[in-house]
Amino acid sequence: MNSQITTLQSEPPRSPDRKGRQVSTKGLYQRAVKQAFLKLDPRVQLRNPVMFLVWIGTIVTALVTVNPNLFGNATDKNPMVFNGLITLILLFTLLFANFAEAVAEGRGKAQADSLRATKSDSIARKLSPNGSIQEVSSTALRKGDLIKVIAGDVIPADGEVTEGLASVDESAITGESAPVLKQPGTDIASSVTGGTRILSDELVIRVTADPGKGFIDRMIALVEGAERSKTPNEIALTVLLAVLTQVFLIVIATLLPIAQYAQSPVSVAVLIALLVALIPTTIGGLLSAIGIAGMDRVAQFNVIATSGRAVEACGDISTLILDKTGTITLGNRLAEEFIPVNGHSLKELAQVALNASIFDETPEGKSIVILAEKLGASLTIDRSVAIGLEFSARTRMSGTDLPNNIEVRKGAVDAVKGFVRSRSGKIPDELDTQYESVSRLGGTPLAVCQNNDIYGVIYLKDIIKPGIKERFDQLRRMGIRTVMLTGDNRITASVIAAEAGVDDFVAEATPEDKIEVIRAEQAKGKLVAMTGDGTNDAPALAQANVGVAMNSGTQAAKEAANMVDLDSDPTKLIDIVTIGKQLLITRGALTTFSIANDIAKYFAIIPAIFAGAGIGQLNVMGLASMQSAVLSALIYNALIIPALIPLALKGVKFRPLTANQLLSRNILVYGLGGVVAPFIAIKIIDIAVTAVGLA
Amino acid sequence: MLQGWIQIALILVTVIILTPLLGKYIARVFLHKTTLLDPIFGPIDRAIMRTIGIYEPEGMSGWQYIQAVLVSNIVMGIAVFLILFLQPILPFNPSQVGGLSWDLVLHTTISFLTNTDQQHYSGETTLSYSSQVFALGFLMFTSAATGLAVGIAFIRGLTGRSLGNFYQDLMQSITRILLPISFMGTLVLIAAGIPETWLGAAQVTTLEGATQAIARGPVAHFEMIKQLGENGGGFFGINSAHPFENSNGLTNFIETVAMVVIPASLIYTYGLFMGNLRQAWLVYGIVLVFFIPLVIMTAWGESQGNGQVNTLLGSMAPNLEGKEIRFGWSASSLWAIVTTATMCGAVNAMHDSLMPIGGFSTLLNLFLQIVWGGQGTGTAYLFIFLILAVFLTGLMVGRTPEFLGRKIEKAEVILASVILLIHPIAVLIPTAVTLLLPEDLRGISNPGFHGLSQIVYEYTSAAANNGSGFEGLGDGTLWWNLSASVSMLLGRYVPIVALILLADGMKLKQIVPMTDGTLRTDTGLFTGVTGVVILILGVLTFLPVLVLGPIAEAFQLSSGL
Amino acid sequence: MQETLSRFWQKRLPRALLLSLLMAVTIAPAVQAATGISLDRGQTFAIVLLGMTTLALSIYLFVVIFQPERF
Repeated sequence: MNSQITTLQSEPPRSPDRKGRQVSTKGLYQRAVKQAFLKLDPRVQLRNPVMFLVWIGTIVTALVTVNPNLFGNATDKNPMVFNGLITLILLFTLLFANFAEAVAEGRGKAQADSLRATKSDSIARKLSPNGSIQEVSSTALRKGDLIKVIAGDVIPADGEVTEGLASVDESAITGESAPVLKQPGTDIASSVTGGTRILSDELVIRVTADPGKGFIDRMIALVEGAERSKTPNEIALTVLLAVLTQVFLIVIATLLPIAQYAQSPVSVAVLIALLVALIPTTIGGLLSAIGIAGMDRVAQFNVIATSGRAVEACGDISTLILDKTGTITLGNRLAEEFIPVNGHSLKELAQVALNASIFDETPEGKSIVILAEKLGASLTIDRSVAIGLEFSARTRMSGTDLPNNIEVRKGAVDAVKGFVRSRSGKIPDELDTQYESVSRLGGTPLAVCQNNDIYGVIYLKDIIKPGIKERFDQLRRMGIRTVMLTGDNRITASVIAAEAGVDDFVAEATPEDKIEVIRAEQAKGKLVAMTGDGTNDAPALAQANVGVAMNSGTQAAKEAANMVDLDSDPTKLIDIVTIGKQLLITRGALTTFSIANDIAKYFAIIPAIFAGAGIGQLNVMGLASMQSAVLSALIYNALIIPALIPLALKGVKFRPLTANQLLSRNILVYGLGGVVAPFIAIKIIDIAVTAVGLA
Repeated sequence: MLQGWIQIALILVTVIILTPLLGKYIARVFLHKTTLLDPIFGPIDRAIMRTIGIYEPEGMSGWQYIQAVLVSNIVMGIAVFLILFLQPILPFNPSQVGGLSWDLVLHTTISFLTNTDQQHYSGETTLSYSSQVFALGFLMFTSAATGLAVGIAFIRGLTGRSLGNFYQDLMQSITRILLPISFMGTLVLIAAGIPETWLGAAQVTTLEGATQAIARGPVAHFEMIKQLGENGGGFFGINSAHPFENSNGLTNFIETVAMVVIPASLIYTYGLFMGNLRQAWLVYGIVLVFFIPLVIMTAWGESQGNGQVNTLLGSMAPNLEGKEIRFGWSASSLWAIVTTATMCGAVNAMHDSLMPIGGFSTLLNLFLQIVWGGQGTGTAYLFIFLILAVFLTGLMVGRTPEFLGRKIEKAEVILASVILLIHPIAVLIPTAVTLLLPEDLRGISNPGFHGLSQIVYEYTSAAANNGSGFEGLGDGTLWWNLSASVSMLLGRYVPIVALILLADGMKLKQIVPMTDGTLRTDTGLFTGVTGVVILILGVLTFLPVLVLGPIAEAFQLSSGL
Repeated sequence: MQETLSRFWQKRLPRALLLSLLMAVTIAPAVQAATGISLDRGQTFAIVLLGMTTLALSIYLFVVIFQPERF
């Protein structure tokens, strides 16, 4: 199912357990067949103008099957059999279209059921203002309520942790099996999703969504197609299809007297057959299936979209705003090299760096320890007598206080400079040169000092995600610009930008800068997509045309975004863009195919029914008889719908090409193919129909 | 034989050479840049504008523009209706022609008001000079100018400009384009022998001694604006086949070029407005790809003549029935295609007598309406087809379709569809109704497939605002006058309203910058796609009628039945 | 939208059907007289009904074209 999308991914595929839920398709087709009949209800058909015409046509042909002389004396051969066959084929045309929609909906429902399984009604412990606990049904919870959950509970609603610390199993929605730590205050880890299970300890949660309004509920509604409102492009396409239908309705209705006058009378059943063959039933029958399948594809990618409109907007995105860390580079930088200054040796520097990092549990810190040990440094001091100093945004340094008043520090170069100056040390000029040379390599320089003596610089290297450059190349070919945002300084940022192949970057960016960048791009008429997770990303997520919040992000960010990625993988933004494009391409391709088919259908039916007017030579396809020509065209018209269901559900294969390359390719396949294919198919069906003796 | 083809080529080359010259000039006029004629017409313009109370022409919104078009057209229509109706008591009636029936007056008024110029009468015996010159001659200028103004407002909107002021556009269309060109053309026509006189019919004694009245009148200027404004309503009943309307090869050359030169140049003007001449020439190419084969097919058909007649003659002779010998098969064929392609509707030969392939080609022109197309509106329709092609195929590149950097959304599709829909409505429905009427009401002179062509042609010509007739149809009746009037009104004003609203909506849209992901419309591939879309949307609608009309007739002729 | 549609089904549809049938009965003789084609009464009535169905479909399509959101 995901093969279309993964063509873009040069990364190794995600491990199977993260690749979305495997939904059960057992019984899907049986249910869809049943649905196909239920959907014959005129109230359902009325929503689809093209198929509604077929529906009315079927009734009229059924009437002339019962009484062939209803609208005038029948002149066709075996009118009852012939009209009966037409009625049957029309009925199947309707059923096939209904089936396509039912299959798409069925798959969505299966997707929804697997989501809903996590949502079973549970008992919630509601905290009253006076502190007492009251057991209520989870459906009775309202936004703002405080609830208490303890180990083993399923969290009954989306919310924000206000008290406690606990690990939560979110595998039900993310597929990620490792439990996540939740605690209040921290931006990222304080939000919990209804349906996940608390594994240890207990939490007090403030409910942030009324039941039925949470993310899962929205997703369920969307993939089931229940709340599906048509997207702008779909509406415009509906108009066009209705117009074509209207045109052909007029053509066929007026053909009755015109043919009568030209001494080539045509029966009502044949006219209805011609009408159904000409109106765009192929795309008309598959349009809603394409839309539902598009939502389903997004869901399979473990992304929750709040509306179909948002998915469609992805196709129009012309600028992607990406955070450097986690999206372009692996989250962690690793120590690459030690550069001593001030006359210190490499080994001395390695030892000090090691000492400064012994309490640093971050990946950066660990990588420093590993590199230092490789260079011969070893832990010589007793950990119990030393005190670790954690990194903080204010000091921008971390380090260790050793006995004998020895203070070792590592951190941002100017922070360390300040530390050394405060202890009246000297700053060697060398430091700045090394700082710059590391920056120029795209690395992050950390200065290392012991008391007032600067020992050197650690070169922390950013690891660019493998394959990301190729993906940016593909995006560029599709006309999408990428802008990298990073807190790094300009020099570092420019090097990484060049290495990753992004089109532009904003260095030393604060979260507030994001919204400025978005506004600037939008002022140029571009549609912007971005990812974010923090509360201070929320305004930017709301401002962006497509804002994807990470599931690990705060509730505020999720509320502001129009999509939530349950895997919290910012790279997925690129995949979402391709899903959006694929959705539009599929619609366009099937529309083109459907309309191009009309040429062959005309050539099949018109010479056949007006053979009396002496135009037999126009029967270029050499169809056997009038009746077989009409039946063949109609059978083709009906069969092409189920034949295209897989394409409608899977989507047209997307290739990262420029618009003009895409157009020439798709015109060749769906335009020219749409002209040629029915000529061949109708001829084959004609041979078969004649052989079986239907006409 | 060769000479005939050279005549056709010469006219085509002249038109193509004139295209950029006139196109640039029209663009200068409507971009309000200075032109050579400003010193002469500037003060006149201002004086007229002040008289109607406009001191500083302001840009209009969509609905204001539509209101201005409709109100001015209604006022002009009422005035012309009165002149025609009161003809017997008005001056300049040297031949003492009488009054007209109300339905003929209504039909004629609407016909000239909508730039159709369908005539259910013969001018020389039915109308006085004041009716011809002050009523119809007046509308020939204003209806052409209305079309031009709308065409210009449309491209202004598409390119993000203000739609402009209808009254100013209307006036400048006349004073800067139609009047100067027709003035020069009239002088040449007079020099070539076309009469321009207020005297009544000449009374002459023939060689046999009988007295004959030879109709004449202020023909030359009438003829020129008739051609240039794509009006097509002849001073005389037989239109430009009459020697006093079109006397020789030179007048025929001028009149043919005059028909097509403005719609051809307007495509170039659009290119200048868009700042993309490449796009303009590609669109021009689409038109030529339709136009040239139609000319060749028709000319070939006429030059080969009627197979059945040829068998009787024992040799091959061109089909000269219904043609003037001084024009021959080639100039007549070219004229027939140009006049139906440009929605002029003047004829120098009877289309009823064209070979079926000629009947097919002329009908196809009227169905498509974009092979050059009507004054101003034809070029706009071409761009409507571009918009529809963008919408149909644009989705296939995975983005919301855009044209000229502006998104094509629901509103645009609805409005473009209205234009697409109105033609079959205004053609096929009245055709079907007429065929259901009792036989004596139909007025078909030639039953069978040809009779069907006659009826379809009449309504198509009305709805496309062309005005030429297949002739042979007894169309001077109440039924035909009224039903054709409805088709003309629908075919004229519904698209105008849709065009202006579409332009008004596009004007306000934010421009989406061009990237590699944008579908370029100025490529050969997209132009080809547009051509196919035009064929599918335009032709497939009318294919059954074409099959039962001219195509069936062609097979009938070739099978010798 | 849901509401208007369901109301249509409950109230306006039966009335519209009845009216159209009545109209067909009225028009049929006129059509029979006007057209030269030889049809019996029932056939004319059926043709008139068919014509009215077509007209209704056409109106329905116009509604779809101008207010696509309703569908």
